[in-house]
Amino acid sequence: MAAFDSLSARELAAAISAGDLSAREVAEASLEAISARESEVQAFLQVTPELALEAADRVDAARAAGDVLPPLAGVPVAVKDNMNLQGTRTTCASRMLESYESPYTATCVQRMLDAGCVPVGKTNMDEFAFGSSTDTSAFHPTNNPWDVMRVPGGSSGGSAAAVAAGEVPISLGSDTGGSIRQPAALCGVVGMKPTYGAVSRYGVVAFGSSLDQVGPFGRTVEDVALAMDALVSGGHDRCDSTSQEVEPVFARALSGSVKGCRVGIIPSFMEADGLTSEVRRGVESAARALEEAGAELVDVDLPHLDAAISAYYVIGPAEAFSNLARFDGIRYGYQEPDCRNLAEQSARSRAHGFGAEAKRRQMLGAYLLSSGIYDKYYYAAQKARTLITADYAAAYERVDVIIMPASPMVAFEHGAISDPTQMYLSDMYTISINIAGNGGITVPVGLGESSGLPVAAQLVAPAFKDERLITFGAAVERAFSGADFSAPVLGVAPACAGKGGELA
Amino acid sequence: MKELTEVLRDWEAVIGLEIHTELTTLDTKMFCGCKLSHDDEPNTNVCPVCLGLPGALPVPNKRAIEYIVKAGIATNCEIQKHSMFYRKHYFYPDMAKNFQTTQGPVAFAMHGHLDLEVTGRGAAERPECAFGEAEAASLASASAGAVGLSADLSRMAGEGAWDETNPSPSVPAAASEGALAALSGYDTAAFALPERHEDGSYTVPIRILRIHMEEDAAKMVHVGGEEGRIGGAAESLIDYNRCGTPLIELVTEPDLRTPEEARLFMEKLRRIFMTLGISDCSMEKGSMRCDGNVSLRRRGDTRLGTKTELKNLNSFKALHDGLAYEICRQAEVLEEGGIIYQETRHWEPSRKRTVVMRVKETADDYRFFPDPDLAPFDLTDEFIEHCRAEIPELPDAKRDRYEHDFGIKRADAEQIAGDPAVAELFEEAASGLAGKEAQTVANLVVNELPAHLKATGAAVEDCGIAPEQLRSLAKLLASDAISSNQGHEVFVAMAETGEDPEQIVDARGMRQVNDTDALQATVDEVLARCSDQAQQYRDGNQKVIGFLVGQCMKASRGTGNPKLFNELLRKALS
Repeated sequence: MAAFDSLSARELAAAISAGDLSAREVAEASLEAISARESEVQAFLQVTPELALEAADRVDAARAAGDVLPPLAGVPVAVKDNMNLQGTRTTCASRMLESYESPYTATCVQRMLDAGCVPVGKTNMDEFAFGSSTDTSAFHPTNNPWDVMRVPGGSSGGSAAAVAAGEVPISLGSDTGGSIRQPAALCGVVGMKPTYGAVSRYGVVAFGSSLDQVGPFGRTVEDVALAMDALVSGGHDRCDSTSQEVEPVFARALSGSVKGCRVGIIPSFMEADGLTSEVRRGVESAARALEEAGAELVDVDLPHLDAAISAYYVIGPAEAFSNLARFDGIRYGYQEPDCRNLAEQSARSRAHGFGAEAKRRQMLGAYLLSSGIYDKYYYAAQKARTLITADYAAAYERVDVIIMPASPMVAFEHGAISDPTQMYLSDMYTISINIAGNGGITVPVGLGESSGLPVAAQLVAPAFKDERLITFGAAVERAFSGADFSAPVLGVAPACAGKGGELA
Repeated sequence: MKELTEVLRDWEAVIGLEIHTELTTLDTKMFCGCKLSHDDEPNTNVCPVCLGLPGALPVPNKRAIEYIVKAGIATNCEIQKHSMFYRKHYFYPDMAKNFQTTQGPVAFAMHGHLDLEVTGRGAAERPECAFGEAEAASLASASAGAVGLSADLSRMAGEGAWDETNPSPSVPAAASEGALAALSGYDTAAFALPERHEDGSYTVPIRILRIHMEEDAAKMVHVGGEEGRIGGAAESLIDYNRCGTPLIELVTEPDLRTPEEARLFMEKLRRIFMTLGISDCSMEKGSMRCDGNVSLRRRGDTRLGTKTELKNLNSFKALHDGLAYEICRQAEVLEEGGIIYQETRHWEPSRKRTVVMRVKETADDYRFFPDPDLAPFDLTDEFIEHCRAEIPELPDAKRDRYEHDFGIKRADAEQIAGDPAVAELFEEAASGLAGKEAQTVANLVVNELPAHLKATGAAVEDCGIAPEQLRSLAKLLASDAISSNQGHEVFVAMAETGEDPEQIVDARGMRQVNDTDALQATVDEVLARCSDQAQQYRDGNQKVIGFLVGQCMKASRGTGNPKLFNELLRKALS
C-alpha cells in the first residue's frame, strides 16, 4: 500500500482503526525501518521489539473484540531515554545508569500507551540532557538524517532524528532550555514544548526541575497536536504537584484561524550576532506567511532577554547539582568496586559514572549554591527570571504569539563546537521560554538556501495558551506545504525515505 | 566536679533545645503514599519517591500540614501563611536523594512561647540571682540570632525578600538594658519575668523560634559498632521505612537556664503533642527526639560562651542528667582556664558522661535552595481556622479546670491532664464528684494506675479498668469503708477480675470497722498486753503510737480504721 514512513500518526491510526492495517504490521514496519536505518542514524539506545509487538497485538485483539480503539491505537512511538518505561532500561545516556532497569513507568509515557501507542524503543540524548548536540551521550553520537556528518541537535537528538529518519511518526522529548525545539529545527520536524506544568514530569529523570517539560515530536503539526491531546488527557497528575489540569483541545486548534491575530517579532532577536542569514530569512518568510493569512505583525521589545542565558546557567546547573546528587552508586547505578569507605565509593563512582559535561554542570551548580556565592548569583538569577517572565507577560498584552528562530543556525558538524560556552549559545532562542515557563513550537519552513539543510521558525505563546502554538504552527505549515516543498513541509530526510518498512 | 547547684551560682547556663517529633499518627509519609510504621520488616514501606529513584517527585501530605499548624497554634506561634520547602544537601545514605526536604527561613509556625511552671525540688536549680531585672538582660542577650543559631538559617534570612514574607530579623547582639521589648518578632506583652514564689516555685516564659516541617531520614544500623554507632562497625544496614516520615522540628530560643527547665519544657511539649494526637511521642522508640545546645557564661555577663550540642538525650532523665553533666564539665574546663570547643557530644547514660562525637571546625555548607518540585504554600484563613477548631482542650486549660471543678491538687491535675487517655478515664470516674471523693479518684489515677500499667504492660485504653470501678473504689476509700492499704488490694483485685469493688470488699470481709465501741475493746486489749510501750508513750515517746496502732490493726485482722485506733489510743494514754 505505502511506505511506513510516508504515513502520519493520524493516517496510521485511521488505517488501523478501519482495519486497513493491523497494528502488528505497523509495528513490524517501524521495527524494520529502524533496523534498516539505525546504522546511519543511531537514534536509539534501545529498541524494544517485544514490548512493541505485545502492545500491537493488544490493539489488534481489542479491535477484533469490537472495542472502541483509543485515538493513537497502534501508532509507534519512541521515548527519550530519560523517561521511565517498565521493561526498559532508563540510562539517560550515562554510564552512571547504564544498566538501570525502570522500576515504574513515567506518567507521560503511560499516557501515550493509554492512547494506544506502541513503544518501539528509547532514544539517544545528551548525557542527563546536558547539551545541544547529543554528542555527550556516553554510548554513541546520533547522526542528523539530513547529513550524517552533522549533529541532530540536543539534548533530545535521538527523538528528533528517529522522526526525521522515518523510524517512528512521533516521539517524546524533554526540553529544559530548548532540548525539543532546537533538535526539531535541526532535523526538520515539528517539536513542541508546552507550558511548564502542562505535562506531568513524574518518571522523567530530572535535570532542572523548574525548567523541565515534556513534549512531542512529529512530522506534522497535526501529529504533534494528537500527541499533546494524549499527554494531557487524564488531567492533573497526582504524582506531580506542579502539574496542572489542561484541556485536550489541541487537535481542535488545528483548524483555528489566525485572521485578525497579532504576531510579535522581537527586532533584537532578528539582528542578533550568530543568527545566520538563511535562518533569518526563513523566519521572516514564516512571519510574512502569517501576515498573508490575515495576521498583523507587531514589533515587541523584551528588555531583559539578554539576561536569559546567564540566568539559565545559574538556575539550570543549581537544580541539576541537586537532582543528580542522588547518583552515588549506593542503591543503584554505577558502583566503583574495591573502595575502602563510603566517601571514596561515592566519589569514585561519580567520577567514573559521569561524563565531562555532566560533571561540569554539577560542579558549577555546587559552586553556585555554596555559601557566599549563592546570594550573588542565585538571587540575581531569580530576579532576572521574574523580570523576563514579566517582559513576556507585557508583550502578550499586545500580541497573541511571538515568532522567532528556534536555533541560530542549521545543523552543525560533529565536533564543530568544542567550547562549551559556544555550545550554550545554540540555545539562545529557546532558553528564555523555559525561564518564563511558557510554551513554544518549532515548525520547519524549508531548506536553507546556502546549506540545503532544514530551517525552522519558533512560535511562542502565553502560559497555558499552548493551543495557539498549534493554530499558528498549522498556519505556517499550510503556507509552506505544496509550495516549494512537498507536503508535509519536509517529511522524512531524503537519504532515509522508504528504506525498509514497506506496508503491504 | 562541682555539684550542679554550686556551678549555677557562679555560672549561667544558656540552653536551647531542638526537638524533633515524628507525626506517627498520620497514615502515610510526608511526600508519598507509603504507610508509616515502626514495626514492619525493613524496607517494606518504600516506593520510588521515598527511595529517591530517578524521576520520582514529592507530593506534600496535607494532613501533615494540618498537624504542624495545630502544633503551632497550641504553642502560641504565629502561623505563616506563605512558606516553602527547601532542599538541604548532604551526602549520606540515610537520605535517599542526598538532600533533605525541609523548610526555609519561613517555617509554618514561628515566634511562639510556652510558660513553664517550675515547682518542687527542681526549682532550686535556678539560683536566687537569676530572677528579676538580671533575668531581663539575660534573656535579651541570648536570642537565637545572637547565639548564631545556624549559619544556614541566617543565610536564608538574608534572602527572604524575594519570594517569602520577610522573616523577622534576628535580635541585635547588644540588646539594650535588658528590656524585653528588644525581643523582636515576639508578642512581648505575653511575657512576664520569672519571680520566685514563697514555696520556691516560679513561672518562666520560654520562647519558641520556629516549628518547621521536614522529612525524616532512613534508619541506619551499624553492625558491630559500640551502641550501634559507626565507630568500629563491620557493616551498615539501611532501613528506608522511616525515610520520608513527616517530622516537625521545634527550635526554642536559648531561654532555658537549668536542666530542670529543659526537662519540664520537653514534658510540657510532649503533653501538648499527645493531646493534639499528632504523635505517639515515644522518646524510647525515637518518635520524639531532643538535642540540647548549652553554653556557660559568668553571672552578669552578656556575651555568650561557646556552645556544645548534646545528642542521645532520649529520655526525660537523660535530658536532665546529660545537660547537668555537661554544665558541670564546661564549668570545670573553664575554671581551670581551658577552652570549650564547638562540638557535638554524645550522652552516655551508662557511664554518666558526655563524649565528643565530632568537632565542627567549619560550618557545614548544605547549599539550601527552594525546592523546585514543590510549589510555595499559601495557607488560607479557612484552613488555619479549620485546624484551630479541631484543637482539643489543651493540658494547661484542662489542669486548671480539674483544679477548679473537682478541687483536686494542682500537681495531680497537671499529671492527669497531660495524658489524654488518663484524663478521659479520670473525668468519667470523677464525673459529678468533688472534694475528698474527687481527690481520691485522682489519687488512684496518679498512684495506683501507673503501677498497674507498668506491671501489666497495658495501655490506658485497654488496661481493663472501668471508670465505674474507680468511682466505686474511691467512694469506699473516701468514706473510710476501707483503709488505703485495703484500697490497693482492691485495686489489684478489680483490675484482675473486673469485679465491682463493693463486691470484692464484701466477699473478702474487708469492710473497715468504724464502730468506736468495737474498736475500744481492741484498744483496751492491746494496751493491757503492751504496757511497756504504753509507758514509753506516757514518758514522751510519741513515735511508739505507730507500733500500738499496728498492734490494734493486727488484732482486728486489718479491719479496724487505723485513724480511729490512733485517736482512741491517744485518748486512752493521755
